[in-house]
Amino acid sequence: MTSARTTGPRGRVLIVDDASLIRLFYGEVLRGAGFEVDEALNGLEALEKLLLAPAGLIVLDVNMPRMDGMTFLRTLRRGDQPLAATPVLVTSTEAAPRDTELARAAGANFYLVKPVSPDLLIKHAALLHAGPDGGPNAAPEVGPDGAPR
Amino acid sequence: MTVRVAEDGAIILEGKCPAEDAETVARMLLLDPAASVDWRACDHAHTAIVQVLLTARPVMVGPPRSLFLRDWIAPALSGTPT
Amino acid sequence: MNDLLEQFLVECRDLIDAATADLLALETAPDDTERLNGAFRGFHTLKGAAGIVEFPAMGRLLHAAEEVLASVRAGSRTVSGELISDCLACLDQTGRWLDEVAATGEIPATPEDAAEDLVARFAASGRLATPGADSVPGGAVPTDGTPPDGVPRGAVPAGAALGTRVATAAPDWVARLAARHQSEGHRARAALRYTPTADSFLRGEDPLAVIARIPDLLAVELMPRGTWPPLDELDPFTCDLVITLLTAASADDVSTIANTGFGVLEVWPVAAAMLGPDALAVLEEQARLAANDTPEGFAGRLASAGLVASNVLRRSGLPDAASAVADAARTGQSDRSGAAFIAALRAALGDTEEASEPQPKTVMPDQSGDAAPRAQTTRALRVDVERIDALVSLVGELTAAKNAIGHTARLMREGTDLAAQSRALKDQHALLDRLVSELQRAVLGIRVLQMRHLFQSFPRVVREMSRELGKTARLDIEGETTEPDKATVEALFEPLLHVLRNALDHGLETADERRATGKPPGATVRLRATRDGDQVIVEVADDGRGIDPAKIRLAAARLGLASETELEAMPDQAVIELIFSPGFSTASAVTGLSGRGVGMDAVRSAITRLGGSVAVTSQLGMGTSVVFTLPFTILMLGVMTVEAGGQVFGVPLDVVIETTRIPRDRIARLGAAEAIVLRDRTVPLIRLAEMLDLPGTARESAGGDVSILVASAGGQAGAEQLCALEVEAFGERMDVMLKPMEGLLAGVTGFAGTTLVGDGGVLIVLDLQELLRCQESPL
Repeated sequence: MTSARTTGPRGRVLIVDDASLIRLFYGEVLRGAGFEVDEALNGLEALEKLLLAPAGLIVLDVNMPRMDGMTFLRTLRRGDQPLAATPVLVTSTEAAPRDTELARAAGANFYLVKPVSPDLLIKHAALLHAGPDGGPNAAPEVGPDGAPR
Repeated sequence: MTVRVAEDGAIILEGKCPAEDAETVARMLLLDPAASVDWRACDHAHTAIVQVLLTARPVMVGPPRSLFLRDWIAPALSGTPT
Repeated sequence: MNDLLEQFLVECRDLIDAATADLLALETAPDDTERLNGAFRGFHTLKGAAGIVEFPAMGRLLHAAEEVLASVRAGSRTVSGELISDCLACLDQTGRWLDEVAATGEIPATPEDAAEDLVARFAASGRLATPGADSVPGGAVPTDGTPPDGVPRGAVPAGAALGTRVATAAPDWVARLAARHQSEGHRARAALRYTPTADSFLRGEDPLAVIARIPDLLAVELMPRGTWPPLDELDPFTCDLVITLLTAASADDVSTIANTGFGVLEVWPVAAAMLGPDALAVLEEQARLAANDTPEGFAGRLASAGLVASNVLRRSGLPDAASAVADAARTGQSDRSGAAFIAALRAALGDTEEASEPQPKTVMPDQSGDAAPRAQTTRALRVDVERIDALVSLVGELTAAKNAIGHTARLMREGTDLAAQSRALKDQHALLDRLVSELQRAVLGIRVLQMRHLFQSFPRVVREMSRELGKTARLDIEGETTEPDKATVEALFEPLLHVLRNALDHGLETADERRATGKPPGATVRLRATRDGDQVIVEVADDGRGIDPAKIRLAAARLGLASETELEAMPDQAVIELIFSPGFSTASAVTGLSGRGVGMDAVRSAITRLGGSVAVTSQLGMGTSVVFTLPFTILMLGVMTVEAGGQVFGVPLDVVIETTRIPRDRIARLGAAEAIVLRDRTVPLIRLAEMLDLPGTARESAGGDVSILVASAGGQAGAEQLCALEVEAFGERMDVMLKPMEGLLAGVTGFAGTTLVGDGGVLIVLDLQELLRCQESPL
């Protein structure tokens, strides 16, 4: 399953993607940047994991035509707080405006077109994640450098 | 008179000093480089005068009566030139 | 609206027309370089116009299309149906913007949204067209994330996805200035850099006074443009300073307060500088996310938008903004609206636009559906100079004639040779008569519009509908140079459009059907305008399937228009004309003639109201022809005035059979109604004052005469129904220029229009036939 976990100081990220190569790749990149990473193969598994332990950011693959990712996102947003507020970064191979709009309507906080370079992934994870306390419980008190006050 | 020289050689800026005074102040400072500039009674100084002061960096006797000069120009004159 | 914008509108509409024609011609003949260059020039000129009136969104859109055409000229792209459609869509959007400008008198405030999707389409089509572009999903990660076509692969292409504006990145000096003043800097909302001109002192400017007015200053720096010179080298009257400052006031306020005529003033929102483009993009995206107020999932979406936005702001060193935004997001939960959050976000970014929250578009707007042609009812008229010159010389002649009459009048007063003077007067009157007729003609001539203006939007209609319906149809246009009156042309627009659509939709067969009957696969629709004496004739003819009398009979029977026996007995031509019956437009799809909102009966009444007629002929299997006939100058109308209810009205002479006075005792009572006998016919008598709901004056005492106007109440010639109208007095007969009722009064029945009379008053001209119809069926 996952490689040896390092407790990342920057918070927990959940990668939801059915391609093991992607999970591996993104996982390595984010761990290297100081995040704690967990993985899920599909929406259902993602929900189960989130209920056990909230994440500060979800990186969600929503490759059309597989709708599973979008269904998961909509379900997440319609669910209970604070889980429903978890930041979600959507990745997809589709670049058309329509696809962005559909993702936005489902509740995505941002959208990146695959393949995503490591730099871009880290940069946006840093911007979007909720903080080291692992979840969107309250706006975390962090200083400008991201470390807790 | 908005610009005059005191007995002790200090250059006094009084009231609202217009642009023309810039030349007078510059001339006075060239004649007596050690002269201080007393602007405690200064209500306004045209930018030209401020430019002269920033160039010459004389000793300033303040604070100037004008709040704007006091808050924003005085610090620039007393700080180290950048 | 100022002159510049008026001119802008007129010129741009012309340019759009010309470019449309070029694009359509180019589509059928892709190698026609003249058309290609024409289209390119058109877009280029439109773009230039947008620049002149400072309409950047329009300029950007046109630029995108211009680039596409440029690449066609360069040979790196070929003309395709899609390319033409995109360019036409671009012109459509421009046309819509022009309408907005015409309506509001100003450049639209937030036009970007509409344009971005179109611009993205051009960009996208460019990507697809470039050979060798890496379009394999999930391929190897490029080293810098930028594929050959220049769109960074990791981020969504800027124009394509985000739609609305992303705050522009500020120049470096802003960030450096903020960095130098970190302690106060976090309150800074705006940064200003002022570089006065060297001669500003001499010209009377006091640069520090300019910035002293700015409230909430946080930091001020004064630097020389180069380095500080030694005092003896300083010219005290040359300004060598650059002033920079930070303030807690908004960039908007600063821009309003700080003004100078001598030098360069730059104002920037600070947040944008401190945030960087990626953070800005994320923040904009949260605004869009929050704008979606669909109830399901709203709480989750808004909460996550608020969380992300406040974190981004805090991490960028803007803790106050972060708190404000987080609070606004929390408020929004109970309000069930993201508006407060979006406003707080925009305030934090120092956004200067008073924009409403970004509207989320859940579906791509259907651009093709908007290609509805518009009747070009511009208020301005382009007039040939010759026509104006002709008017000028007419004025000269009229003045001379007036003087001559004045002279004659003087001579007559003096009593000299009255006989000779009265002959002279008669001649001068004849001259005046001729000159006034010429004047009328000349003025009307200015309002003529060539038919071309009417026909120009139809090729698009044919094109769009053909594509939609999968039928190939060619539109032949003849007689574009026929010149009827502007009102005629405008009146013809809707009916012609309706008939044309009908022809395409129901009249034409598919290519296969046509081949099966031995016809060429592409259908032809002919639009022809000719002048016949003082009438203009416009024909819409197609070589399609024709109208099937059998189907009409069926529908007519179903509608109860006539009995089945009657219908059987009717000749086919009469059956076909049943389509003009009221209610036929709502006939079922069986007839295949249901219109899109404008039935043939409405078409006919619109045309007859103008003094024209519509006729249909058709041959089953061969095609249909609809012919409109309209008077060339529809506005001159002979009327006579009558008095009723104490008011004066005009009655069109063409419905007046005769006027007469009859003794009161000739009026017969028939129950509650009255009638008179006129040459062996009983004609109902109605008091006009009553019909118009006006207080009538009591009839004169028994024995007096009554003024009667006998009018035609409609019906076929020879079987006319007559009606006698009792009026209080007759007036004069005159030719008038009738102005149809407009605006709120346009729907009022019973009035043909108004005209100006000699003393400047307004005469209302009655539509007797309408009035009488209402009379027959009182509500």
